[in-house]
Amino acid sequence: MTTTSPASAIDLYSDESVLEPYENYRLLRELGPAVWLEQYGVWAVPRFREVYDALHDHQAFSSASGVGLSDELNRVMAGGTIGSDPPVHDDLRRVLGRQLTPKALRQHQEFIRVKAAKLVDELIGRGTFDAVPHFAQWFPVSLVPDLLGWAESDHAKLLDWASAGFNALGPMNDRTLAGMPVLRSLWGYLDRIATERDLREGSWGANLAAAVDAGEIPAERLPTLLGDFLVPSLDTTVSALASTLWLFGTHPDQWNRVRADPSLIPNAFNEVVRLETPARGFCRLVTADHDLGGVTLPAGSRVFLLYASANRDELRWEDPDTFDVGRRDAAAHLAFGHGVHGCVGQGLARLEAHALLAELAAKVRRIEVAEPTWRRHNTIRGIAALPTTLHT
Amino acid sequence: MRLIVDRDRCEGHGVCESAAPDLLELDEHGDLVLLAEGELAPEHRQQAADSVVICPVAALKLEG
Repeated sequence: MTTTSPASAIDLYSDESVLEPYENYRLLRELGPAVWLEQYGVWAVPRFREVYDALHDHQAFSSASGVGLSDELNRVMAGGTIGSDPPVHDDLRRVLGRQLTPKALRQHQEFIRVKAAKLVDELIGRGTFDAVPHFAQWFPVSLVPDLLGWAESDHAKLLDWASAGFNALGPMNDRTLAGMPVLRSLWGYLDRIATERDLREGSWGANLAAAVDAGEIPAERLPTLLGDFLVPSLDTTVSALASTLWLFGTHPDQWNRVRADPSLIPNAFNEVVRLETPARGFCRLVTADHDLGGVTLPAGSRVFLLYASANRDELRWEDPDTFDVGRRDAAAHLAFGHGVHGCVGQGLARLEAHALLAELAAKVRRIEVAEPTWRRHNTIRGIAALPTTLHT
Repeated sequence: MRLIVDRDRCEGHGVCESAAPDLLELDEHGDLVLLAEGELAPEHRQQAADSVVICPVAALKLEG
């Protein structure tokens, strides 16, 4: 019996596809468990089962040569927490992760709650506002550098760095190229911080530096690890928070359920990131010929694990395109990745989102949103502008 | 069959609690507690398997 490997000319990075990705994901899921993307020379993995399996098999699907589409940038980005395999990965992850566990984050819980309450009160008083800069960006960007303990407070610069970092995971297209000078400025900044150690005592950054001094991690990893804190903590959360307002604004029945029963908030946030997954996916390198769902992937080829598609897979989810805050199995989504590389900052993301949702649910009867415009980004699915009014 | 918590990997996200309420619980400090050590009772095997699948950081596994 001969098996044919499905292939497709779909361009996931065209403007049209970036702005309306879900139909292309559906077409890819229909084609097979792994689909050769002719234009980019990678295997798209669009269904839940195989994305999950690949994420849980780091020996067959390696991160050590980078997790983006372009070889050039993979060479630069390999070696950090995201671009490594166990056991190297585990040592880096342990140092990064111990400050970000829900337990470690408890000390910041009250601070974040008060910050959320103030923001929601202020936005209620503001009338109509753009929820992207004033809600979704403002919250993480005014929080994370503070927790990291560094002096940089230029929000626009921080957001540009994060955006360029995620664009660089895509192919070497105009978006990636436009981000190159921005990335160089980020790398220069991280090198400077790692050398000068201008970090507030007790902050995450200072604790990382202390781990270097204690010999837990090599000194040359410090800039990368500082970047591992910063870059993933902004754009993804920004996307999730904006999508939260948009989805509840467009589904008032779901908002009423959350208001009536705030214990639904954690599940509701899982459902938001299932349906509007912030980071569309990451790549892995196939280390030896491997059968994935019946398709043979040759050693040395790259797979593009599409979290955003897996999270709407008809084979996995009932009514996958429906926003249902009570969805029984919403927590099983792959929006934070899964397995040994599962998002190390998911506790922080949840803490931020839950705090904001709790304040909104207590104070806001109706979230009114106008038509959003969407970002043109290689990796992040996110809203660019969302006129919003909070009615009490 | 036994449920094993890899303490090096467990970060206390607590996603497993709802998958296996009879077996796993975060205590008041935020640390994961295995409620039933040793051989799994037949009625707990499904919960254990579900918790392994849903753990977001691959910190749970079945042995035996």
